Amino acid sequence: MSEMTYIGKSVPKVDAREKVTGQVIYAAEVHLPNMLYGKIVRCWEHSHARVTHLDLSEAAKVPGVVKVLGPGDVTRKLYNTGVLDLMVPEDMGKHLLGDIEDQRIFTDHVRHQGDAICGIIAESEEIAEQAARKVIALYEPLPVYLTAAESSQPGAFQFDERKPGNMAFQLPEQMFPNNAYGWGDVDAEMATADLIIEDTFYVPKVKQCQLEPHAYVAFYDQSGRLNCWTSTQMPKCVHNKLARLFELPISRVNLVSTTIGGGFGGRLGMVFEPETCAMAMAVPGHPVKVQSAREEDWVASESRHPGKYRLKMGFKNDGTPVAADAHFTSDAGAYFSHSSGVPFTAGSWLTGMYKYNAVRYKGDCYYTNQAPSGAFRGYGNPQTNFVLEQIVDQACLKLNIDPVEWRKRWHKQVGDDGWCIGVPYSSCSLDECLDRGAEAIGWKEKRARYATQSGTKRRGIGVSVMNHTSGAMPMLLEHTTCTVKMNEDASAVITIACSDLGQGSHTVLKQIAAETLGMPMEEIHLLVNMDAAGFDIGSHASRTTYVGGGAVLKACEDVKRQLIGRASTRLGIPVEELEIRDRHVVSKNKPRRPEGAIEDAADHLRNNVWGVGASMSIKEICNVGVYHFVNPMNGEANGIPGQIQGYASYFPSHNSPPFGACFAEVEVDIETGQVQVLELVMAHDIGRAINPKAVAGQLVGGSHQALGMALTEEIHYNAKGLCLTNSFTDYKMFGPLDMPKITTILVENPDPVAPYGLKSVGEAGPVNPVGATANAISNALGIMFTEAPITPEKILLAIAAQGLA
Amino acid sequence: MKNRLITLSVNGRNYRLNVEVNRTLLQALRDDLKLVDVKYGCGSGECGGCSVLVEGRECINSCLTLAVEMEGRNITTIGGMMRKGELHPIQQAFIDEGAIQCGFCTPGMVMKTASILAKNPCPSEDEIRRGLEGNICRCTGYENIVRAVQTASRVMHESDIQAAGGAGP
Repeated sequence: MSEMTYIGKSVPKVDAREKVTGQVIYAAEVHLPNMLYGKIVRCWEHSHARVTHLDLSEAAKVPGVVKVLGPGDVTRKLYNTGVLDLMVPEDMGKHLLGDIEDQRIFTDHVRHQGDAICGIIAESEEIAEQAARKVIALYEPLPVYLTAAESSQPGAFQFDERKPGNMAFQLPEQMFPNNAYGWGDVDAEMATADLIIEDTFYVPKVKQCQLEPHAYVAFYDQSGRLNCWTSTQMPKCVHNKLARLFELPISRVNLVSTTIGGGFGGRLGMVFEPETCAMAMAVPGHPVKVQSAREEDWVASESRHPGKYRLKMGFKNDGTPVAADAHFTSDAGAYFSHSSGVPFTAGSWLTGMYKYNAVRYKGDCYYTNQAPSGAFRGYGNPQTNFVLEQIVDQACLKLNIDPVEWRKRWHKQVGDDGWCIGVPYSSCSLDECLDRGAEAIGWKEKRARYATQSGTKRRGIGVSVMNHTSGAMPMLLEHTTCTVKMNEDASAVITIACSDLGQGSHTVLKQIAAETLGMPMEEIHLLVNMDAAGFDIGSHASRTTYVGGGAVLKACEDVKRQLIGRASTRLGIPVEELEIRDRHVVSKNKPRRPEGAIEDAADHLRNNVWGVGASMSIKEICNVGVYHFVNPMNGEANGIPGQIQGYASYFPSHNSPPFGACFAEVEVDIETGQVQVLELVMAHDIGRAINPKAVAGQLVGGSHQALGMALTEEIHYNAKGLCLTNSFTDYKMFGPLDMPKITTILVENPDPVAPYGLKSVGEAGPVNPVGATANAISNALGIMFTEAPITPEKILLAIAAQGLA
Repeated sequence: MKNRLITLSVNGRNYRLNVEVNRTLLQALRDDLKLVDVKYGCGSGECGGCSVLVEGRECINSCLTLAVEMEGRNITTIGGMMRKGELHPIQQAFIDEGAIQCGFCTPGMVMKTASILAKNPCPSEDEIRRGLEGNICRCTGYENIVRAVQTASRVMHESDIQAAGGAGP
């Protein structure tokens, strides 16, 4: 590929100026005439109960209350906030995976603290809140189950008759005999092992903690359209789901995608859109705003799947991983949501990582009375990383093999089966990631130095590798539609439904468009409008740059084809002899502009210096296509008519998985149990970085979430199932002082099947710092920790019980 | 609830407000004055999304401050940082250093930065990190925000610090 103008350049985010001046519109900033305010009334005192009596009469009497809505006043249709049902064929989703709809807008069966029981619509937020306090709800408490182990007991209360034993999901027998996937004969291979390492781990329930609390405006207008302003990361899926829930054609639902104040999977599907829209449907002609409180996010929106993760691995003395046998039993929480997603996918990252002779993965989950589990950046990968990478390090320790060397020897390579069995890896630069990362952190030297330590502060260094994906094909639908409209002055409008969670997807999509069209980014507008844009599955599975970018690339190539086609007709030169240079269609045979003539090259071309009679400006082609006049004197038209529009309905042919190596160095205070992370080095196999600064930003930002999962973050419940950590004080995330020095290394070897060779990065950051930090602690203390987060309390208890190595 | 009439200056403009005495500054700014560049992130002083600058120097959580306490005070929000259509050097530094992802913490972070630099024009990295505690960002890992504060500190002059909040101490 010749030198590029925009690809590989760290251009500033296209929305940075609006954001830094406070002018972007998040949903909470939407203000419409005649707007009313909705309050979702939740059950705060029980995590499992039946509503035996609901009296809204006192609430309705509060001056300024417009309407009160109980379960019977809104649609009773069931729905599923997740979007997996739109990503797999119905016969697979419903019949094989057992996807079900089990949520109602307002319920009389509270299944988790914060379940919505009714709604208030009032003239102000304060009045709505005041009225909410007047709602009289009586409950019959039901038994509370906080873990899969409890709810799977015989005789436990059955959450859903369609799910016997409260098992929301297991890998389906019809697809996977014995409810497991993998390859080879695990039992026979395990029998040949010289060393077997086996343990059961616990991975915590952690929260996305996007800074923007969920807020919406919905408006059932006089034309009979339902409008919904939302910061969802999956606008087209939510568009479709709202249309289905309220039984409207999609064209009568207007979904407005507002600026997204962080997502991380927390907005992967519907959140409180159903409640908000139901309220708006109850007061036609009045917009209704729902601003949820931060506390509601903790109790009523989804989190990462917690649970027990057993892994048994067998090794030969030379390190050969003969077998891996894994079983992840997770807590689904109160509703089905992503129950068939995360427990299924967590194993993909396991099978996709190493060349085991045989591997078997079982994944299942059970209903509990916690807030529902769902999507969180990494989608099962951080859980697997914590488990797999620690077991590997234990084996390396026992076999006296360097953990970096073991990983280089046994990780999967190009051509090996990818995370999705049957789809071979198209590229892999993990060796280079490991080599460059090890060098950057001083792996060999520190590993040797930390082998013998004394004193109260012990240092350790650890490594962890990961694989992920760029889009979820072929497991899930991957499709993005894009149109590129060329205006009469040759500026362009790209219409697409891809959302930007803040990662900069709109910036990189414009970079790809500008590069492909050979025009300045400033002359391209990216229009995100759900009425105008065609389909896009949404921002998940690290797909937007890869699949959305692929759609932009194809649509821009369509524009170029049309431009060259028209120039060919006008110039009488075959299309294969033409190309686009300096915003002109020119003959390939004509000399390129000389060095140093960049600025006025277009003028030269216009003057036919570089191609006499063999050039047409793109502006001329676009202009004539729109302003197609017929000369009244001779009846001749002035060119080829028709406004140029490029189009792509793009289904990628691959998922170009990225790899990464993370190195962590920690210092553990053995008197207090405090862990200080001193340094992280994250080397990432990006294929090609479209915007290197944005890529690094994804890695560093993601690591913040990984370090929290490894060391400090966990949602706690009391025995009644009431959340104890529903604030940023009680739920400890890393602050600016806690973050370590971080070095990012972008390894760029373009992927052969990807648009511009790019691979994803969005979900890399939160994954392997989890395993690397755990391994570094284990290196420091000689103790492996099986429960995350590895808190000072756990460290002190372990030191007391096991002693230091 | 009793009401009280207050006057306050926001971004150089004077306002007279008749507010309930328990109304927070955040409600007064966002709901009454429609200055929605100030963000509601938690309502309990934990995230810093609602940070505003008082007298060009002190950064406060407007969700924890009563509007009536601001009688006669000069308040600056991110909407008041630009001068003559030009970005403030702190704003420019946030763009240049890639310190903005979802942008929801940005208004508070920029005001916190203005406060840090007003009190200490050349802070060390540790002082910056300590100063940013109380303002949560879930996107960036703070790295590029720290760099933005350092960059702003390098390019800013005394006049910029004053411009961030009017008169200064």
